[in-house]
Amino acid sequence: MLSVTHLTKRYGEVVAVDDLTFALEPGSITALLGPNGAGKTTTLRLLLGLAEPTEGTATVFGRPYRELEAPCRRVGAVLESGDFDPGRSGRNHLRALALAAGIGFDRVEDVLALVDLDAAADRRVRTYSLGMRQRLGLAGALLGDPELLVLDEPANGLDPAGVHWLRGFLRQFADAGGTVLICSHVLAEVAQTVDSVLILSAGRLVAERRIDELSDLEALYLELTTAPVA
Amino acid sequence: MTAQLRSELLKQRTTRTNLVLLAWMVALVLLVLALHVLSFGSDDLARASNQMKILGLGTSIGALFAALLGALSITGELRTGTIRPTFLVTPRRSRVVAAKVVAGMLAGVGVGLLAEALTAGAEAAGLAARGIDIELGAGDYAQLLAGGALAAALFAAIGVGVGALVRNQVATVAGLCVWLLFVEPLLLGDVPAAAKYAPEASAGAIAGAIQSQIADALVAPALGVLLLVAYAALAAVGGAVVINRRDVE
Repeated sequence: MLSVTHLTKRYGEVVAVDDLTFALEPGSITALLGPNGAGKTTTLRLLLGLAEPTEGTATVFGRPYRELEAPCRRVGAVLESGDFDPGRSGRNHLRALALAAGIGFDRVEDVLALVDLDAAADRRVRTYSLGMRQRLGLAGALLGDPELLVLDEPANGLDPAGVHWLRGFLRQFADAGGTVLICSHVLAEVAQTVDSVLILSAGRLVAERRIDELSDLEALYLELTTAPVA
Repeated sequence: MTAQLRSELLKQRTTRTNLVLLAWMVALVLLVLALHVLSFGSDDLARASNQMKILGLGTSIGALFAALLGALSITGELRTGTIRPTFLVTPRRSRVVAAKVVAGMLAGVGVGLLAEALTAGAEAAGLAARGIDIELGAGDYAQLLAGGALAAALFAAIGVGVGALVRNQVATVAGLCVWLLFVEPLLLGDVPAAAKYAPEASAGAIAGAIQSQIADALVAPALGVLLLVAYAALAAVGGAVVINRRDVE
């Protein structure tokens, strides 16, 4: 499904990701946690073929992302909420992606309705709130009806109703057999949403726990990410 | 590849960027033409060679704006981050660059035709207003339009390639403008024997018109096409290699 083996990324002297190894179970929601600069986003970029590892491998469905045929039919990803041309409408943003993926425009309308953006779809993205951009990103990730979702801070900017909706959506997605990997800072939200957590600190995996075995996620997180790593 | 091309063509027409670019081009052609046609003496303007040189402005301006259009199609995506969803859907990045080259060339044909037609029309109107006969024939205009369209298409490909190589939007736009507006005209003035093989001079050779002292010493149109195809291929392939190898921020 998704597997990372001895994954390492160095930028000169800086080690952004350090010998990371983990795998995801199908049908589960996993959160990648860690302070700013812990290597979460770099790990996602390596998984999605946007950056090349210095050492080790990152594979999805058994292959490096860049070797997948029609990857968006298997993996849906949102890296940042700002990945749009501000002068293009939400609908045209999705249509450009759909054309490249060989997906029909009726599917664009489906995902717009799913994330409740149909009324704003013809407005330029520069007029969108952060929450609307998040939902547009999610709509793009869902275009190909993927089995795996990779989301960087998906709740960022969503209002409480939006967060509630996202939680329900991800649970439903996983219950239907889908797999989800999210990066987040919001521990309370994570504790309510995910099945297991991976905690990164300075590029290394310092904990891998099932959420139902944890009594206090915040205490564990603070202990592991603020204490010096041996 | 066709899927990615259709995506790139949709991207071209779903922001205002290219329309704004075309509006600037139209304004620039009209301004420069007005300056030339109104300020030159009647005797100078009556000569066919000078009428041809003025048409060369259309070639240069068309080439410049086609190159900018091509460059913005890639540096715009790098700047806004839309390159990330683009590469997530199409991780074979050279396919994306190839689609941008083809989409840019198609738009470049339109840019070149518009620039040359506008230049020719403005010159004809200006000469008529001053009571000067046009000394150019149908063959001159045919080469101007067809050659200008082809040269602009190839310059759009150069723009995509340079954009992919340089990556930074401001640096790319500044570089293309400085080269086409200052460096190459200087080279054409100072070292014409070598500069006639440069990109803008090649475009002039293809269209049969260039705004420069070496208008008579241009290479043959066929050699101009070969040279410009070589520059376009070099830029596009170089850009694709760099985009393929480098991490996306």
